[in-house]
Amino acid sequence: MTERPILNVWRAEHAYGTRKVLRGIDLALRPGEIYALLGPNGAGKSTLVGAICGRLKLSGGEIAINGENPFTTASARASLGLVPQEIALYGHLTVRENLETFGQLAGVKGRALREAVQRSLHLTRTIDREHVPVKHLSGGYKRRVNIGAAIMHRPTLLILDEPTVGVDQDAREALDAVIRNLRDTGVAVLIVTHDLEQAGGLADRVGFLREGRKIMEGAPRALIEQAFGEEMEIMVHLTLEPDSAGEILMAGEGLERVGRTSVWTKLDPGGYATAGRLDKRLRKAGLDPREIRVRQPSLQNLFALVADWSRAA
Amino acid sequence: MTLAMFRVMALELWRDRGALVMTFLLPPLVFLIFSAVFSGATGEDIQLKLAVADQARTVDSRRLMAAVVADGDLRAEEVASDEEVRRLVRAGRADAGLILRADPGSQGGPVLIVSDPSRAVAAPLTMARVQQAMGRAMPDVLLARTLAETAPAFGGLTPVQQAIAGRTLQGLAKASPAEAADSGLFQREDISGARKGGGTIAYYAGAVTILFALFSAMHGALSLIEERRSGVADRILAGAAGMGPVINGKFLFLLGQSLLQATAIFFTAQIVYQVPVLAHLPMWLVTTLLVSACAAGLAMAIVTFCKTRDQAQMLSTFVILILAAVGGSMVPRFLMPPWLQTLGWGTPHAWAIEAYQAILWRDGGIGSVYMAWLVLGGIGAAGLFLAHFAARRIR
Repeated sequence: MTERPILNVWRAEHAYGTRKVLRGIDLALRPGEIYALLGPNGAGKSTLVGAICGRLKLSGGEIAINGENPFTTASARASLGLVPQEIALYGHLTVRENLETFGQLAGVKGRALREAVQRSLHLTRTIDREHVPVKHLSGGYKRRVNIGAAIMHRPTLLILDEPTVGVDQDAREALDAVIRNLRDTGVAVLIVTHDLEQAGGLADRVGFLREGRKIMEGAPRALIEQAFGEEMEIMVHLTLEPDSAGEILMAGEGLERVGRTSVWTKLDPGGYATAGRLDKRLRKAGLDPREIRVRQPSLQNLFALVADWSRAA
Repeated sequence: MTLAMFRVMALELWRDRGALVMTFLLPPLVFLIFSAVFSGATGEDIQLKLAVADQARTVDSRRLMAAVVADGDLRAEEVASDEEVRRLVRAGRADAGLILRADPGSQGGPVLIVSDPSRAVAAPLTMARVQQAMGRAMPDVLLARTLAETAPAFGGLTPVQQAIAGRTLQGLAKASPAEAADSGLFQREDISGARKGGGTIAYYAGAVTILFALFSAMHGALSLIEERRSGVADRILAGAAGMGPVINGKFLFLLGQSLLQATAIFFTAQIVYQVPVLAHLPMWLVTTLLVSACAAGLAMAIVTFCKTRDQAQMLSTFVILILAAVGGSMVPRFLMPPWLQTLGWGTPHAWAIEAYQAILWRDGGIGSVYMAWLVLGGIGAAGLFLAHFAARRIR
């Protein structure tokens, strides 16, 4: 991690009219690093990615890919590959034909093109479907080909915009493996995602954006430990819906309902001991927990915590 | 639920201002243009363009010349010689020609109509207009002609005259309607070397070629909107090359597609109607390449300036219809009002049709089509340039 960053963002600022969407963001991404950019809608993620891709001019600050400005320099843009959120492929073409097409559009030709297709098929593990029209592939395979088309010209920086939208768990794990493969080849990977579970499991570093500012950055495990210390997350799954007395009891134990589910959660340094005591109390009150789980806090917890801090600020 | 979907559709249209304007502004515009085209072509307002030469140079031939030139229903131009009349008709610069070979009062077809079979309807229309002009401007000559024609038939009612009248009536009865209509004033001559029926076929082969070239090119160019919607454009724009290769690639494909369509159309015309495409292959090929480039460039320019598929579809439909109607792909332009004929030169259709007719019907050389080539190539190049310009705005 001592190599020179491939991507550098210095004090990036941008506004649409009077609405400021980026307020001085710094970012650096090194070869072989996976960085997950997190944040709620409207945090400025898409604008930042647009600026990194050279598609909009910042009103302040600078961006450099391999030392060059992507807005003004084509060679800077040639160093990056973009995987859009949509399946940006030609459905009536086969996987191989799509890869060839996007390779050619990226300026790869001849023998280099044939080699790039093979490499992409292997890295994305789609070689078993190379002659299948993309429209006939499953969602997970389409996502992998979507990545494959973006790496045909061997970019040093790969940007993935919500790569796991609409894919199941198996497909997501396969996608994660593909992204790790790419990281291992030295590509710097920037993932823009709402999928905190993927970010936590995959990213070397994460950055939280909120209202155009980067409010936290670091390795996921380090950030979680820093934020939660010894605390563990205790999750209680109730069999039956609690009555009002039950709800008062749950709140008294510091448990909060997750959305509209029957799952309640709390962070507690007591871990398994607290979970055992909680189980007894709830059963005594007739609340009959189906399952009580204890686990390390996740990025989801951190995200909620950061959102609370941000709101309080 | 029905109302909810109605509301969705209404809001979608309301919020796409471009499509909204086109939905409600273009139909009346198309109506105005179509009504001008079709009422002009089928009503009483057809103003034929005539080339007239007076070879007789008698008092009455001068009077007829003056009457024809002054007639508001005709656009007659006096030219110096009968050869000039034939040249103008052959070049398509006059719908028909009129040669006053002898005094209009004389017998034996003193007025020669020079016609182009590809504009067959122009000859009878010219006859009717000239007779009308004579009736208005020189009724004495017309009456003298009538007396000269009827006196031998009925004069004196002697047995001999009755017999003559009987033979005349029998002769008229046996005459074809066309011969009877000529009534001795006119004779008709088709321009030399004209192939029966081929001119009309060549006209419509050209008209259909440019119509379909534009139609297919528009349809193909719409894929650009799909690519913007599906994220393909995002992916390409993030790269070094940008949209330039995409625009050029699509342009070349559309050009090739139109070239193949034209080949199919003219191959059929050659086989079925003996339109001499093979005899003029190099000239035909250059014209077809330029027609195809024109259609491809125009389509790419229109589509790149549209933001949504609805806008592009609506606009392309109207553009195709209007250009086809005004440019002569639906109704021959010489049947349109003069102002619309002039307007037609602003469409690629008119130039394409003109070029194909010049090559395949009039056996014209480069001198007769270079202007059409310049216009068609210019439109194609300008369209491609505009498409690149518009694509640079897509970021």
